[in-house]
Amino acid sequence: MKTIFFIGITYLLYRLAKKIYKRWPLPFLHPLLISPLALILLIAAIHVPADQYLASTKWISHMLGVSTVAFAIPIYKHIHIVKKHLGNIIISITTGTLVAILSSFALSLSMRLNPELVISILPRSITTPIAIEVSKEIGGLPALTTVFVICTGIFGSIIGPYAIKWMSITSPIARGLALGMGAHGVGTNKAREYGEQEATFSTLGMIFAAGITVFWGNSLIPLMMKMVHTL
Amino acid sequence: MKLGIIILQIGFIHLFLFLGAAIKNFIPVPVPASMIGLLLLLIALLLKIVKLEWIEQGGNWLLAELLLFFIPSAVGIVNYDEIFSLQGAESVLLIGVSTFIVMGATAFTAEKMYNRKHRETE
Repeated sequence: MKTIFFIGITYLLYRLAKKIYKRWPLPFLHPLLISPLALILLIAAIHVPADQYLASTKWISHMLGVSTVAFAIPIYKHIHIVKKHLGNIIISITTGTLVAILSSFALSLSMRLNPELVISILPRSITTPIAIEVSKEIGGLPALTTVFVICTGIFGSIIGPYAIKWMSITSPIARGLALGMGAHGVGTNKAREYGEQEATFSTLGMIFAAGITVFWGNSLIPLMMKMVHTL
Repeated sequence: MKLGIIILQIGFIHLFLFLGAAIKNFIPVPVPASMIGLLLLLIALLLKIVKLEWIEQGGNWLLAELLLFFIPSAVGIVNYDEIFSLQGAESVLLIGVSTFIVMGATAFTAEKMYNRKHRETE
């Protein structure tokens, strides 16, 4: 009964948030900000512990894994683009993921953040379903990682267009990959405003970023974690 | 009718998630099960073992409603006091700065490579 209630209310609030955002597309009205906020207030108001809500809605979170599998569809549909630009995609996204991990690491050390925050922040520039998995594997806190991923997406979709403009980036591949790499799904949403090609490259950038970060999660990140713990 | 097709196709996509989990069970690869499932589905599509029509409607629904699936994990944040501290605010600032650098570096690399390839073919 509770399961149906919480899944239903989550879905309704999500639909409502999407409608609001469509009407007023302002960054702070992003559905990923206002629907969790509304739910937090709601469960506090009816005195439901967060863990009970999370247990009731685990089926919704479960769909993240299934959605990751479904990303095979856009890759398959654009396989000719992948083949044609494979070198560029791999090199640009490898650069992007390295810069993401190293800059987050350097900045968080300089800010003296506690190790838990540092670990949870490292996988933040990739799409949530994979970021949660990477965070678990490297010993971060998945809920914190989720929030950091959401922040990254929202910031990236605001900053991205300025970066593209200031750097006079004109090719659809560079625009799309930057948005997909920097702001995953939220960036891809933004890329649609540029055009179909940008959106395709953004989707591909997002998927490759996830894959390459999984690789770093098993090589570079554990080394950096050792450094954090010895400091 | 359409809802039925979507549910059926999502069920079918699950098969690849379970296959990914099964493989991870036998061979301890440090890759998420969903990522293995993605690769398996892509291979099945490319080898024409699975037809796009079998999964397209369900898959597109999943990708279109992706934001919904993040919501419970985001609500889970209330369990962590860390985020509501000065360090939490600093983390948010860090993310803004780092994301800008990441996008700049990615766009720069991709644009340079694109221009070089373009010049060669001209």
